[in-house]
Amino acid sequence: MSNLLDVAGIGISFGGLKAVQNFSLSMPKGCLYGLIGPNGAGKTTVFNLLTGVYRAQTGTITLDGVRVEGLPPHQIAAAGLSRTFQNIRLFGDLTVLDNVKLACHLRGSHSMLATMLRTAGFQAQEGAITARAMDMLGVFGLERLAGEQARNLPYGDQRRLEICRALATEPKVLLLDEPAAGMNPSEKKSLAETIRQIRERFGLAVLLIEHDMGLVMEICQQITVLDHGEVIAVGTPEQVQSNPKVIEAYLGAAEPAAADAVEAGGAAAASSAGGAHGAA
Amino acid sequence: MAATGALGASIPKHRPSSEQLLRTAVLPWFVVLVLAVLAQIVLQPLLGEYGAKVARQAGIFIIAAVSLNVVNGFTGQFSMGHAGFMAVGGYVAAFTTYYGSMVLYGSADKLAYPVVAGVTLPLTTGHLLMLAGIALGGCVAAVLGLLVGLPSLRLRGDYLAIVTLGFGEIVRVLLELSGPQMFTAAEVKDATVKQWLSFPVGGSLGFSGIPTYADAFWVFLLAAGTCLIAYRIKQSSSGRAFLSIREDEIAARAMGINLTAYKVRAFVFAAFFGGVAGGLLVHSGVPSQPSIAGFQASFEIIIMVVLGGLGSISGAVLAAIILSVLPEMLRNLAEFRLILYALLLIVMMLVRPKGLFGVREVWELGRGGGSGGGGGGSVSGGGGR
Amino acid sequence: MSDFLQILIAAVAVGSTYALLALGYTLVYGVLKFINFAHSDVFVLGAWTSFTASMFVTQRMNVDPAHAPWWVGLCVLLAAISVASTVAYCIERFAYRPLRKSPRLNVLITAIGVSLLLQNVGQLTGPAVVRETPTTVTKAAADLTPAERASETTKINGEQAQVQVQGKPLATLPFGSSPRSMPVLLPDAVLNETTAATGVMDGGSRRGMVKLDKPVTLEEGRTYSLQTERLDASGKPTGERETLGVASPAGTYEKGTDIRTQPARNAKDVQGAAYTLTIAPEVPIRLLDVLIVVSALVLMAGLEILVYRTKLGTAMRAISYNVETAQLMGINVNLVISFTFVLGAALAAAAGFLYPMKYPGLNQPAHQIWVLLGLKAFVAAVVGGIGNIRGAVLGGFLIALVEMFGAFYISTKLSDVFVFAILIFVLLVRPSGILGTTVREKV
Repeated sequence: MSNLLDVAGIGISFGGLKAVQNFSLSMPKGCLYGLIGPNGAGKTTVFNLLTGVYRAQTGTITLDGVRVEGLPPHQIAAAGLSRTFQNIRLFGDLTVLDNVKLACHLRGSHSMLATMLRTAGFQAQEGAITARAMDMLGVFGLERLAGEQARNLPYGDQRRLEICRALATEPKVLLLDEPAAGMNPSEKKSLAETIRQIRERFGLAVLLIEHDMGLVMEICQQITVLDHGEVIAVGTPEQVQSNPKVIEAYLGAAEPAAADAVEAGGAAAASSAGGAHGAA
Repeated sequence: MAATGALGASIPKHRPSSEQLLRTAVLPWFVVLVLAVLAQIVLQPLLGEYGAKVARQAGIFIIAAVSLNVVNGFTGQFSMGHAGFMAVGGYVAAFTTYYGSMVLYGSADKLAYPVVAGVTLPLTTGHLLMLAGIALGGCVAAVLGLLVGLPSLRLRGDYLAIVTLGFGEIVRVLLELSGPQMFTAAEVKDATVKQWLSFPVGGSLGFSGIPTYADAFWVFLLAAGTCLIAYRIKQSSSGRAFLSIREDEIAARAMGINLTAYKVRAFVFAAFFGGVAGGLLVHSGVPSQPSIAGFQASFEIIIMVVLGGLGSISGAVLAAIILSVLPEMLRNLAEFRLILYALLLIVMMLVRPKGLFGVREVWELGRGGGSGGGGGGSVSGGGGR
Repeated sequence: MSDFLQILIAAVAVGSTYALLALGYTLVYGVLKFINFAHSDVFVLGAWTSFTASMFVTQRMNVDPAHAPWWVGLCVLLAAISVASTVAYCIERFAYRPLRKSPRLNVLITAIGVSLLLQNVGQLTGPAVVRETPTTVTKAAADLTPAERASETTKINGEQAQVQVQGKPLATLPFGSSPRSMPVLLPDAVLNETTAATGVMDGGSRRGMVKLDKPVTLEEGRTYSLQTERLDASGKPTGERETLGVASPAGTYEKGTDIRTQPARNAKDVQGAAYTLTIAPEVPIRLLDVLIVVSALVLMAGLEILVYRTKLGTAMRAISYNVETAQLMGINVNLVISFTFVLGAALAAAAGFLYPMKYPGLNQPAHQIWVLLGLKAFVAAVVGGIGNIRGAVLGGFLIALVEMFGAFYISTKLSDVFVFAILIFVLLVRPSGILGTTVREKV
């Protein structure tokens, strides 16, 4: 199997509401895919299904040849799937460095006894983890903030730290949930650059949820469009942009849309998406 | 955004030199030992009999508060039955020492302390019996911790609070139902299996006559040792995992933390050291009664943890000392003590919800902006406590 | 079988008070999603206010509890409800409301603090509200203290002085610390007893023996009792009643033969009194139990209507779904939450009034027995499904049944252990409780 991530026909419903149905996706190594759709379309629910927060009721998820659907989140993370959160979920009381060090936990932890005795092996590993975490922070230009409490970081840095933390688990597939939300244009630009870089350096497959169409169209190779929990279009940015179903989903009318207009249309589409239930 | 350094799949390790190892791993234990010796030969005579008793009490509460802090502070799970684990450990330890002494020495009186070069050493075979009892008590408490924790830690925090509260009450009720104490060696010799199975620790009358082997040396050895271990855990991957669970369970899971495994680990750890604290308590001359497992006793330890700071070891130590010494100084306000504590708890949550020191240690307070760990690549806190 | 039925009746009566209490936990959990640890203390407060009020009524106003008119009980109940509600409002307003956006743990700690505060304030001994009747002692005038000399009640006759001494406090504010017994203000009688004979006493030959004015047959295996009421000269009942047990063996007793009674009373005492010979039922159903259950059910039905049929109830349910959205819909969230607290406290106070009607012993320190009752009610709420009103009622009855039957058939002392064993079992098998639904956390 050449694909890193193969998702076939997953779905979930909450009560009578079909939040996501029959969602499929194939991601080869090193790809950068986008997942877009109006508010409430079920994008975050897809992430929650992939990472095991919700258990998929139908379908299969194969990560690098291993079936992971139905596993608890920490095992899926161990298998190589990592994510960021739409509403930032950092460990606010921990330092920036400790946030990243925590994520290194998967690739090296020690027994309670070794911890209590502070054995040579323990010290070697702690030293290595610290060094690696500093390295990772360097990639995102956060090393000078290493000793700061994560909650005290400016918003943009928090977003970057979250990506950094997700990367420190050494994932094969990285899921980014609206990483550019709340960023200004220059920050967005540098974020796009970083995403491209980490994908190349670590050989990851990246799946991106984003409302900023400019960013998505610029960096993604392939885009999947969700509406009402269903895939309505798959293709390159050009194909998706000209797909009438996509335009209708966003604008509810047959107007050809520029990238900017699409973003504005998101809000309008939200009302037709039937509230924020299960997705948001 | 500079892209430097290649990140491989495995983390390269740098083995510490033996000198470094001696300094970071062994030296702190030596410091613990020195502290314990100082407590015995300096603190004990200096404070007088009554003062030393209060000091030992404080030492025991340090163990209780620091161990509870691992669950309530680090991991953010709210256990309200710590006194239950203490009572279990205490009664098992007391049982071991009391009946052990009866069988081995024919009575439960304290053995004569050996004098070496004019110094009275707090070390007899009776002390070894006490240590064995404390270890056993800790283990029994830990096993109970596992049994209580496994089902309830899968659930939301407030359920844990209730289940542990119920646990403490159950321990109390069961201790009240225990068999009558045997007072003479002859009685112990003739005791039937049925009598032993009834766990003869005196029921609601309490368990008396336990030899008071918990000298300042032992109390402070175990107290300082507990603090060192807790601090080392805080500075390790397990400690970070505990803290991450407290901060955000969903994010912690997404980072590969097995919530239940870590919560249970913290819980069992706390139960063990709670049992150790209980073991020392029953050997310190405090009457052993089933009520030490109850509600009120657990509250006192919770207050220490909350006051000192949820997650701060030195904070818990300070609070344990203050809350052990203060009531002795305010004897005539005893009636109002718990009212004061309760008000303190409420006001604390309104004004300073993370406790006095929060997650930080006392010596970290000076660093501005709440910087916890060292900024550089070195392993922080190498010097121990 | 009769044991079984008797325990069943007791369990239903106790279960209804548990259910009232459990409702308070569930209501607050419904709107605020946190366990109000102080709820059991509000319950204790309700019980002790009932006690203080009824002591006031019976001692100061000299109302005989056995013949108290129905509205006395009601007034005591209302007093308990209003005190408990006021305290609950203050708790919500000053301890919980400032923390509404704080992490769960902080609110939990605050709740524990409030609980601890109420418990310990409750154990302080305050000024006496009601005292025993003052007594007068005689002492030498020379020994009088200045205060006694100045007192208006002191009467000095030469060398001798009569000093009035205050009676012992019977009820204090807040509670006092020694065990007390609650006067039972609700009427009590056995409802399902049958009358074997009525008539007028013929008197008796000697102590402990009575004669009836007509022949009577006592059946094997039945328990009889003899209720007597003195009549005045004109044959009208005087209200002086007495209940005697019948201790004679089974058989037929002709008119004028002796029937032994328990306690052995002088036959002259009851001579000429009207009597009713009743057959005690195998399973007595007491009016008190019925009243407890009925008042609890009335309150529960009222709550059900309030929550599901009124605008306020709709607002409560809206808040339980989503506070922010409810606020956007124009609901005064603070008001509704306060109201919910007060409502829960009122139910707890009612339970605090009803429970000691059945078990009149009020023991302090409270946290040993009474807080444990609150805890059991909480277990009931969790078992039924916390946040679910019908679940709380179901859980309350269930816990009482387990407790009572466990205590009778297995061990009295272990009955608390059973309750917590159930809690752990339910949490393992169905963490959301019997009628509860799982709530997903948003990611």
